[in-house]
Amino acid sequence: MFKTDRISALKPELEAIVGEGNVRTEEAEILAYSYDAGMAKARPEVVIAFTAPEQVAPVVKILHKAGIPFLPRLAGTNLSGGTIPLKGGAILNLSRLKKIRQIDTAARLALVEPGVVNLELQKALEPYGYFYAPDPASQKVSTIGGNIGENAGGPLCLKYGVTSDNVEKLEVVTPDGEVKTWSYRDPGPDLMSLLVGSEGTLGIVTHAWLKILPIPRYIKTASASFNSMDDAMKAVTRVIGDGMVPRALEAMDSVSLDAALNGKESPFPAGTEAVLIIELDGSDAAKVTRELDDVKKICSSSGCAFFRVAAEESERDLLWQARKGAYPAMARLAPDVLVEDGVVPRPRLPEALRQTREILSKYKLTAGLLFHAGDGNLHPNMVFDRRDIQEVKRVKKAGYEILKSCIALGGTISGEHGIGVEKRVAMNWLYGRAELDFFRRIKEAFDPAGLANPDKILPVASDARGEEPPAGLAERASLSPEARNVVDELRLRARSGAPTAVTGLGTRLKAERIMEGAKPLDLRALRGRAAIDRENLTARVEAGVPLGEFRAQLKEAGLNVELPDLKGSVGGLIASKVFPGLRDVLLGLEVVTADGELLELGGRTVKNVAGYDAVKLFCGSMGAYGVIIAATFALSAGARRQHAAFEEPAAWDAFEPDTLHLRLKRALDPGNLLNPWIYRGLAQ
Amino acid sequence: MLQHKTYTDETFDKGRKDMDSTVVTAVSSHIPSETNELYLHEQAQRHLHSLLTDLGERGLYDAAAQCNRCGYCETSCPTYMLTGREPISARGRNQLVRLLVEGRAKDPSIAAESLSTCLLCGACSSACYAKVPTPDIVLEGRRALDGYGDNFFARAAVKTLLDAPRLFAFWLKLGYLVKKTGLPRLAAKLGIYDFLGMPGLAEAEGAVGHVPLRFAAEILRKDPALHPQGRTSVNWAYFAACGPNYLFTDVALATVRLLRRYSGEGIFIENQCCGLLAHNYGRLEDAREFARRNILRYEELKAVFGDFPVIADCSSCAAFMKSYEQLFTADADWRPRAAAFAAAVKDILEFVPADKLPHAAQAELEKAGKVTYHDSCRACHGQGIRQEPRTALRRLAGKRYTELPESDWCCGGAGAFAFTQPELSSRVLDRKLRNIASVQADTVVVGATSCLIQINHGLKAAFPSARAVHYSSLLDELTAPEAGGGHS
Repeated sequence: MFKTDRISALKPELEAIVGEGNVRTEEAEILAYSYDAGMAKARPEVVIAFTAPEQVAPVVKILHKAGIPFLPRLAGTNLSGGTIPLKGGAILNLSRLKKIRQIDTAARLALVEPGVVNLELQKALEPYGYFYAPDPASQKVSTIGGNIGENAGGPLCLKYGVTSDNVEKLEVVTPDGEVKTWSYRDPGPDLMSLLVGSEGTLGIVTHAWLKILPIPRYIKTASASFNSMDDAMKAVTRVIGDGMVPRALEAMDSVSLDAALNGKESPFPAGTEAVLIIELDGSDAAKVTRELDDVKKICSSSGCAFFRVAAEESERDLLWQARKGAYPAMARLAPDVLVEDGVVPRPRLPEALRQTREILSKYKLTAGLLFHAGDGNLHPNMVFDRRDIQEVKRVKKAGYEILKSCIALGGTISGEHGIGVEKRVAMNWLYGRAELDFFRRIKEAFDPAGLANPDKILPVASDARGEEPPAGLAERASLSPEARNVVDELRLRARSGAPTAVTGLGTRLKAERIMEGAKPLDLRALRGRAAIDRENLTARVEAGVPLGEFRAQLKEAGLNVELPDLKGSVGGLIASKVFPGLRDVLLGLEVVTADGELLELGGRTVKNVAGYDAVKLFCGSMGAYGVIIAATFALSAGARRQHAAFEEPAAWDAFEPDTLHLRLKRALDPGNLLNPWIYRGLAQ
Repeated sequence: MLQHKTYTDETFDKGRKDMDSTVVTAVSSHIPSETNELYLHEQAQRHLHSLLTDLGERGLYDAAAQCNRCGYCETSCPTYMLTGREPISARGRNQLVRLLVEGRAKDPSIAAESLSTCLLCGACSSACYAKVPTPDIVLEGRRALDGYGDNFFARAAVKTLLDAPRLFAFWLKLGYLVKKTGLPRLAAKLGIYDFLGMPGLAEAEGAVGHVPLRFAAEILRKDPALHPQGRTSVNWAYFAACGPNYLFTDVALATVRLLRRYSGEGIFIENQCCGLLAHNYGRLEDAREFARRNILRYEELKAVFGDFPVIADCSSCAAFMKSYEQLFTADADWRPRAAAFAAAVKDILEFVPADKLPHAAQAELEKAGKVTYHDSCRACHGQGIRQEPRTALRRLAGKRYTELPESDWCCGGAGAFAFTQPELSSRVLDRKLRNIASVQADTVVVGATSCLIQINHGLKAAFPSARAVHYSSLLDELTAPEAGGGHS
């Protein structure tokens, strides 16, 4: 059992910071913080509530010194057991830190504390004509801090990106109690984005600067009902493939629709099996109307039985209430619900759906299917009663099989709900040993004592025993011979301990910067033709390809990538992060580590919260954390958006490394073999 | 006790981890919904046999288990919004009762703070998709926790009210007299209000200008026009709820005038207390007795007049009477009778026909100033009444009517809550007052006595130019013929 005495000794010290009554160990408090909206349970030893963000760092320092695990918690609505204190310790209750400190429409920023409820922020922004894009269905209760911890999405992220695309800057308390402020624009590897979706395992957000956007002038919402889910999916693929970027493109099946409508008269015709909610926005009324017509045509020719444009705000509200209420409405069908969160490349949705349904029927389960169709993110909501052990087993088995099928279809295990404890085992199937090891090194660099939300995200030993990885699932990228050479070469150099200077086309890294004694590794040869997935709107391109050439190849296919015209190679562009907005289109990376291990990070889906967002960590890494050999980008099908002339910063590699940069460098490249001059002062 | 051992967390987690193994072969998939470790079987009479939920009739365990912890209720719970503490939230309370029922938490006293801080406002159930009846679940927990209202004061009050209402009235008047003689502190000190089970009254009478020495029932009883004798039909029967009866006599009289003005002739039903007081004190058997007497009275009249609506002018009582059936789910004889009575109950808030209302006279409107409407919890969450009073007020007050932000945020009155949880109650009230101030309202219309006391108490201190009035009072003022209204 837990040693309660380790808390009582600290109590006076903690109370001196947060005040009396805010350090609680009574049984009711402990029980009430032993669950969240997921299935897992564990008892904390103490619950510490804060009344000011400044209190967090000193409390973390005390806990760190005493070796007591801790985790931040807000509304407790997460669906993967992320806020369950698996090793006891302290729950840091941040829910009273709910001030909106500043709304700056000129800078398009909102500065908030972590406990601000997402919808409260939206309400506060509305009078100014602004909104914050991430809109998870739980937005009525879930908080910005929690949204950042899980990298929450929502319907609007199809067009406006997930949380990590909408955070500008974070103030973070590190696991040892230091206060840091990081922006993704800071020179050097992007630590801020690494924190997003890290589920409290790398630090605690105490302030967030969020990107806010003007509410589009025209918003049109339509619903399309289909007699078959397959037809609905066909329509989805065609809408996106046509180059339209709807504000939202959501799908529901009849089970979830019935639950959400809750006896209200269905606005859809009898026999409706699937409903799409399609929302378009823009500043040009004619264009929005035209696009809506196009959507209608596509739907009609895909077998849509009934298409209706919401005539007024109340009708639009009804549609969104049905969509956002579908998950909580599952509570009407049975006492418990388990929501899966797999993602597949959009064109594979029909297959994923078919397999999901087969799995559900195999295990005799009732589930409402809800999904962010535009992103390929599926939420089967399986209902059950946790008091029925046999049923619980079937549900878990079905859940695992659904995740496996998503992986097999080239997708991932979580799009927005996080890994927490409940999907930990599936990390073993999605990633190879090298990637998991890489994630562990990141965790250790941030939290060597292992106190920040321990045993989350990364699989522990017992997970491997739990379930065998399905054979032949994680399909590895097939490397070109040139890329193979790079891997082999790095492996050799790692063995001999020879320092390497990673060079591309020489656009930014001039020969005189290269430290003497570092042997150049030329990536010029990585210049294979981009592999374009027209339907999924993604392309994998090797690092040595000049951006101009990549763009030309895309143009031939009628596609483009939303980046300004920049000189140099794709790899160089990422490693130097001269254009921080890169984060919006970069989906995946293949990287060779200093030990010559090949990592596949990110993927081909727009949403992916499985593991740390290491793709972002390589943005601005200047070749010192690993060698980027290929990247996967999200493409757009329509006309290229207008980009303001982009002025590249002169001193692209002028940066003062943060202590965390150094610790990461030590963890990822302990011999300082890659571009050693970047971290010249690295103590060995 | 042994039975539910099989269903502890450990087993559950093991079940999840070892899914491929066959360890749990011996366990049937039967769900032990009868599991109940909250109270002993002998105490079953002092609890609800089952709860009538939106999803059908459920035992306490099943009703609590219907919560899947999604947390979508959290931001609607006033006490959670103020404290940010899970045990002081709807989900937390529900989970604690569930743990007690399951026997995973052994001692009900651990839940004391959690359960006693619940306002019973029901905002959580309104927000809940499964409509988990958290207030009822909390009350079940409190019953076991508080020893079924067996303490001296609660028993004395409820028993006096039940068996000797005239004695109750006598004591109350004595208390009021002491106040009138200028010794209000003495009244409080004498413990008369405590004795009467209305500790809130000690506070309350400080918040109301004067206290009546003739109660509404006494006045109405003397009005021959309200007697059933000699009538062949009635359009309504007025039910004098305790608040209007014992404290806000004017409200009761206004309600009766309104009913006569817009719904023709009716009678005074000569009722007993609805039983809510006993119910919330944990004295469920007494609550049932109150209910039976009221039902009997209703049935007597029904035998003569056929169907008629029973009109109450305190939303707490109306909501409680509408739930009478739940008191008798194990009683085959009384259950249908309770259901029939419940179906006849109407809150005055929903009963005044808006389309018959005139446009109010200018002078009266000016007196009322800017009018807004506070959703009393037991009206909006308890009975789903939101639109009817608004329609009526808009029609009467026109542009002077304005919506109150967060109008269904509890005022913190909640029966005796203001007395038992003064600190939390005043924070709940503060938010209500801020909202009232934000729209610069002069008149805040409410439907329950508790709100009337609480909001006026707050306004007097913070915003003295404004006042809270009962819906009946304002409607009566605005439509009184002598005030120049009364013609459409």
